[in-house]
Amino acid sequence: MNQGNIIIIGAGIMGQGLAEAISASGQDVILIDKTTKLAQKGIKGITESIDHEIEKWGLTQSDKKSILARIQPSTDLSQVEDAEIVLEAIPDEIGMKKKLFEQLDSLCQPNTLLISNTSTLSISEIASVTERPEKIIGMHFLNPVTKIPLVEFVKGLKTNQETFDKAVQFAQTLDKQWITVNEYPGFVTTRIIVPMMNEAMHILMEGVASASDIDKAMKLGFGFNVGPLTLADMMGLDVVMSWMENLLKELVEHKYNPCPLLRKLVRSGHLGVKTGKGFFTYDSEGNKLRENQLNGALVE
Amino acid sequence: MNILVINAGSSSVKYQLIDTDKELALAKGTVSRIGMSASVLTHKPHDRAEVKVSAEILDHIIAIEYIVTILMSENHGVIKDASEIHAVGHRVVHGGEKFSSSVLITKELMAELRNLIELAPLHNPHNIRGINACMQKLPDVPMVAVFDTAYHSKMPPHAYIYGLPYVMYKRYGIRRYGFHGTSHRYVADLAAKKLDKDRSECKIITAHLGNGASIAAIDRGISVDTSMGFTPLEGLLMGTRTGDLDPAIILHIMAREELTLHEANTLLNKHSGLAGISGVSSDMREIEESVDENKNSALALETYCYRVKKYIGAYAAAMGGVDALVFTAGIGENSSIVRSKSCQGLGFMGIGIDEAVNAKSKGIEADISSMKSTVKTFVIPTNEELVIARDTRELVESH
Repeated sequence: MNQGNIIIIGAGIMGQGLAEAISASGQDVILIDKTTKLAQKGIKGITESIDHEIEKWGLTQSDKKSILARIQPSTDLSQVEDAEIVLEAIPDEIGMKKKLFEQLDSLCQPNTLLISNTSTLSISEIASVTERPEKIIGMHFLNPVTKIPLVEFVKGLKTNQETFDKAVQFAQTLDKQWITVNEYPGFVTTRIIVPMMNEAMHILMEGVASASDIDKAMKLGFGFNVGPLTLADMMGLDVVMSWMENLLKELVEHKYNPCPLLRKLVRSGHLGVKTGKGFFTYDSEGNKLRENQLNGALVE
Repeated sequence: MNILVINAGSSSVKYQLIDTDKELALAKGTVSRIGMSASVLTHKPHDRAEVKVSAEILDHIIAIEYIVTILMSENHGVIKDASEIHAVGHRVVHGGEKFSSSVLITKELMAELRNLIELAPLHNPHNIRGINACMQKLPDVPMVAVFDTAYHSKMPPHAYIYGLPYVMYKRYGIRRYGFHGTSHRYVADLAAKKLDKDRSECKIITAHLGNGASIAAIDRGISVDTSMGFTPLEGLLMGTRTGDLDPAIILHIMAREELTLHEANTLLNKHSGLAGISGVSSDMREIEESVDENKNSALALETYCYRVKKYIGAYAAAMGGVDALVFTAGIGENSSIVRSKSCQGLGFMGIGIDEAVNAKSKGIEADISSMKSTVKTFVIPTNEELVIARDTRELVESH
């Protein structure tokens, strides 16, 4: 089913995943970022993701051709003027989000569905800067978007039923299942998984067990596909820390304080898979090589 | 009577307008890339050149609208008015256990078809979309559903039950259904005619070798076994599908390569078969062309033909003999090499090929049996659309 023009703003990991998933469903999509370099980097990331999936037998070369053909990189935000659906996938920082939605509000047609992919922020607050808060909804997709079948619908205080129904229709074109959450910091998924990763970091910091063993415990003991520390490395430690800080700011509870070890890693520029080092060391393809020794000085 | 035959896929609709009095396709064509950018309608009237129309075709309803419009157009049309479409015949992939023959489409039937989506999630939803679109655009025209599975529905239980707990059959309908039924039926009936016998007197093996491939044992007019099973993955080696496989292999690979269900499914359906073994192509023509320089192309070809041969033997055993063997569909109609290799060494059961006649027979009806053979081997181009049109006419006229 074609939904008309679909535009994604932000060609980072989430923007890339969304573009790939939308295109794989047979729909055309425009992927916008601030510079040509960033937009092209998005396309490169999508190409790598598809190549990886071909190696894993999940896609074919002809799938690759058709998926890439339907994604158009761009730096021109004014293209949202003709869009039916705009998905925002920029970093989870409230000031940036508000500024973008203000721009979208002035550029988009009155009926355009505006979706934020925020993991922790308030949809009501994002929508408050626009003249159309009823047409704004949160759709929290999880990384990797093409593989995780879940999306959280987040209704802001003023989001109306028509907007929700349109968003559901859109999710159906992507073959996603959903849960509906009323706006509250962290929704369901982030609220559970981020503090759990933080707790795993405390266990590591306190010398209770090695990173590999902590991950093994949760994989084998509780059927997780990925252990919490590897998951944090995959999500990006800076991202995990910003989520913790958002939860802490909103809910003001000690349990959301980022683990000192997490702060130390982020300050050292060890952000996980994307920088090659986090709780584990990775090669340029993102394959895990070994566990890092993090007690005392960081081992280079 | 003019029958519009519709075969609706996920992003395409193939159509033919058939005059059943003359058994002539007045026009045929395809709408492709529905719901995507650069949709295109390719249309060929039987007496004029092909035309291509680019248009924004967002869904199946608009596709049907374009088809009806071009059939009536001044320059490319073959009818003057939509009222000259007397009935519509739809190809529906899965009829489950419920439908053993073609049926007139009613509201109640649509509900039944929706219940079958679980069995054929990849095909039936699109077939239903095509029917709904025609109901909107041609509201007063009678319509008929012709099922790919129907011809195999009289298979005996010992041929359709898998060696799984019986409760799986009861719970999920897991059994052999078979596909390509319309094609097997068409060529088997024609083969009986060529033998100058009634269908109730012959034992026929029909090999539908296209990009998807299946083989069937037709005992006195009834398909008593066929190689495709619960899904079109089982049986013969295909362009990109594995065909028969030890099911433990997939569990083993999934564990070793940490594959998801989707990845495993794509591995079996899109990366395997001729393409998977040869590493060259899923297209038999390219496999044949590359056998000299590529060892794996030669292996793919041998594996393909060996599998066909095994099934011929098995089905002759299942029927206690065979009177005729039929090759049809893309590879079956065109590849003399595949026909020859698949029949090699079958002289003991009376199958033998005249290699000179075989080599010359491409895409045409032919008797390629050798003088000594007691079993007739035929090449018969299939025509599923014609069967759909005939069934549609018969049902519409009898109601």
